[in-house]
Amino acid sequence: MPDLATVHDVTAPTPLSSSSRPLLRVAIAALVAAAAIVAGPFVLDTYTVNILVRAFFVAIAALTVDVLWGVSGTLTFGQSAFFGIGGYALAIVFTQFGFGPGEAMLAIGAAVGATVVVAGLVGWLSFYPGSTPLYASVISLVLPIVLVQILYSGGTFTGSSSGLVGFESFDLTLEAWFRLSGLAVIATLVATTIALRSDAGRVLGAMRDNDERCSYLGIDTARVRIGLLVVAAVIAALAGFGYVGFGAVAAPENAGFVFGTQLVVMVALGGRGSLIGAVIGAVVIEVASAYLSSSLPFVWELIVGVAFVAVIVVLPGGLLGGLRDIGRAVRRRGAAASAPVMLRTLEQPDAAPERDAIVVEVSGLSKHFGSLSVLSKISFTARQGELVSLVGPNGAGKTTLIRCLADGRERSEGSVRIAGHSIERLPADRIVGLGLGRKFQAASVFETLSVADCLRVARVRRERPSFLKTSPVLTLPAAARAVVESSGLVERLGDEAQFLSHGLKQALELAMVLALEPKVLLLDEPTAGLTRAERQGFAEILTGLVARERLCVLIIEHDLDFVRLISSRIIVLHQGRIALDGSVADVVDAPLVREIYTGRSASDGCGVTP
Amino acid sequence: MTAALELIGVTSGYGSSPVVHGVSLQIAPGEILALVGKNGMGKSSLLKTILAFLPVWDGAVRIDGRDVTRFPPHRKRALGLAYAPQEQALFQDLSVRDNLRLGLADDRSFEARLADVSGWFPVLTARLSQRAGTLSGGEQKMLIVARGLIAEPRLFLMDEVTEGLQPSVVDRLADVLATTRRERGTAMLVVEQHLPFVLGLADRFAVFKRGEVVDAGPVDAGSAARIDEHMRL
Repeated sequence: MPDLATVHDVTAPTPLSSSSRPLLRVAIAALVAAAAIVAGPFVLDTYTVNILVRAFFVAIAALTVDVLWGVSGTLTFGQSAFFGIGGYALAIVFTQFGFGPGEAMLAIGAAVGATVVVAGLVGWLSFYPGSTPLYASVISLVLPIVLVQILYSGGTFTGSSSGLVGFESFDLTLEAWFRLSGLAVIATLVATTIALRSDAGRVLGAMRDNDERCSYLGIDTARVRIGLLVVAAVIAALAGFGYVGFGAVAAPENAGFVFGTQLVVMVALGGRGSLIGAVIGAVVIEVASAYLSSSLPFVWELIVGVAFVAVIVVLPGGLLGGLRDIGRAVRRRGAAASAPVMLRTLEQPDAAPERDAIVVEVSGLSKHFGSLSVLSKISFTARQGELVSLVGPNGAGKTTLIRCLADGRERSEGSVRIAGHSIERLPADRIVGLGLGRKFQAASVFETLSVADCLRVARVRRERPSFLKTSPVLTLPAAARAVVESSGLVERLGDEAQFLSHGLKQALELAMVLALEPKVLLLDEPTAGLTRAERQGFAEILTGLVARERLCVLIIEHDLDFVRLISSRIIVLHQGRIALDGSVADVVDAPLVREIYTGRSASDGCGVTP
Repeated sequence: MTAALELIGVTSGYGSSPVVHGVSLQIAPGEILALVGKNGMGKSSLLKTILAFLPVWDGAVRIDGRDVTRFPPHRKRALGLAYAPQEQALFQDLSVRDNLRLGLADDRSFEARLADVSGWFPVLTARLSQRAGTLSGGEQKMLIVARGLIAEPRLFLMDEVTEGLQPSVVDRLADVLATTRRERGTAMLVVEQHLPFVLGLADRFAVFKRGEVVDAGPVDAGSAARIDEHMRL
């Protein structure tokens, strides 16, 4: 094994280009678009400019829907409500107090303040622990309906069903509005693109792929989702603010769920998850609707609907997805080229070899499902530098025990202390903070992220990621790096995790968990599906970790030869109780193990592999 | 005699990268073939190609002499093909009973077939009304195998079915498969890392490496060492 303490850089052989190139492309595209916006009023007629201003503000709202739905995976119909709140804040303030610079500031303050409060509340309701993505979508559907009811019942204050009109608003020329709204779209698009490509933005894609894995990497996913919703809501509210400021009309339709659904349609039409697709979809639909509704007043909605269905059937990726497919076919290039990755080893002080504090303390732990008792009165302790194997028949409760250690809300009775701290009823991400890492039975990684990005997400808890930059360096603790290199993952850093083989996915998940620098490692059948040579390598890594870093490892394993090779202690679970707890020699040849587990007599040997 | 399964120069892959390269192999009725090799060599992809979950780019797939290369998965199943996938592939929210029932094309024979299941894995019949998602990992594996066997397939494809099973259940599974083959003449293609299990069961073995069969032969006393040699390289 190489000397892991030394710092040496490896650049993985990933194809193409430096990491600054995509950003350069964004900057050039933004400048070209900005120039077009500035020149627009000279070439377009007044009617079109008028429609485009509205379309641009709507496009900003559609962009927030794309971030929430396309990027983070929460389908939302409620962004129209925030758009409406922004618009109505302006309309109400200007109607009540008249127009002036002070009033304008008050209106903006009211728009942002009300949105933050409502979005925070909605976010908390939507992403409350245990809620499902569907639940969040339903709440997003309810929100605009409730808001419109409030607007209807607001009398002259909200203008009821006819809305608020006739107030004085910003005195800008049409050209100025066009440039303002157009540049606002470009600025939002650029800022969102940069933020989502950044080290911090990657977490959103990870959450969409695998929320549970994120929690077990110590990320408070509910908080991230609520924060994202608040930011997206404020941007939508500012768009609504501009929309009503331009038209000087606030109508309940701009806050309703029909508009909220239209925003979703715009995103789907343009190409979900692509950001710019949302803008294209919004502008195409708004402009087409405006022209069609004046020339074909009754059938235009039908035409838009049919066009939408046609696009979704022919181009499932939306207009932009279709363009991209064509581009790819022309260029004959496979997956998108990813930036090269530079591996670096995290410098850590060597653990003192004499450290042997108790880091896992379980007492009287029980778990019931209704009247069915899966675990009863489990008590044991484990120290640093110990490798404890949990064995037992299928259905003995091994995985349940691991779950009860890793999530404070799982157990029915008893107490668990990790690294000296009681886990109380803490959620999984907080227990990760105490120094616990859990590897699942079926490999749990982020399927659509590259291998390097999966590992970067695992480092989020330790390194505050930047919202602006994308670092080419991937810093890993020596243990995680050893797994990446010995498994061969190092050659696949740029590939999406979904294309990895079963064994490599297992190695990736292990490396991700080790990147957390845990004190206690829970492994649920990590060698399942690995060849004997791979098992051998894995055994070396594990025993090395325990010896060098004084990790405490709890491992569920069926292969008794493997167990014999690596363990310092074995706990046998049978029917939810600890049947045996002792040294390898004591346990492996115990008659009880033969009887309940291997089903063979001692002379046959106890292992699975000869 | 017509082969239960015949592959002729089959090539397939994901996106634009080929994973299976011109593979030819045959399995006679009632024969068990062990497909072994390191991870990431394309064994699971080969099974998915046979089942048409991955499109065949080149070559032909024949079942009982009939060209089924372009058949979609459900039509292959109607020809007596069953599959036990590696990844957890149960209907998590359905009961054990309903999961088993879905293994049968004809629901009416279910109660009769259930007796077989209780002979294979008693633990499953004890939990018929439990949600499949609440079973332990090993029990889910047993259910995946039972769901495949319950249809009395003529050809059974298995992908790492011993994963997560306790040693005594692995032995039981070997018995069940051997008995099924003896009594019903089921041909089997077994992808497996657990060499003692699969070599105890199979008539022939094939070693898979980078999408190709690099070695094959009848299982005998020297097979384990020969396969080990390939795994090390």
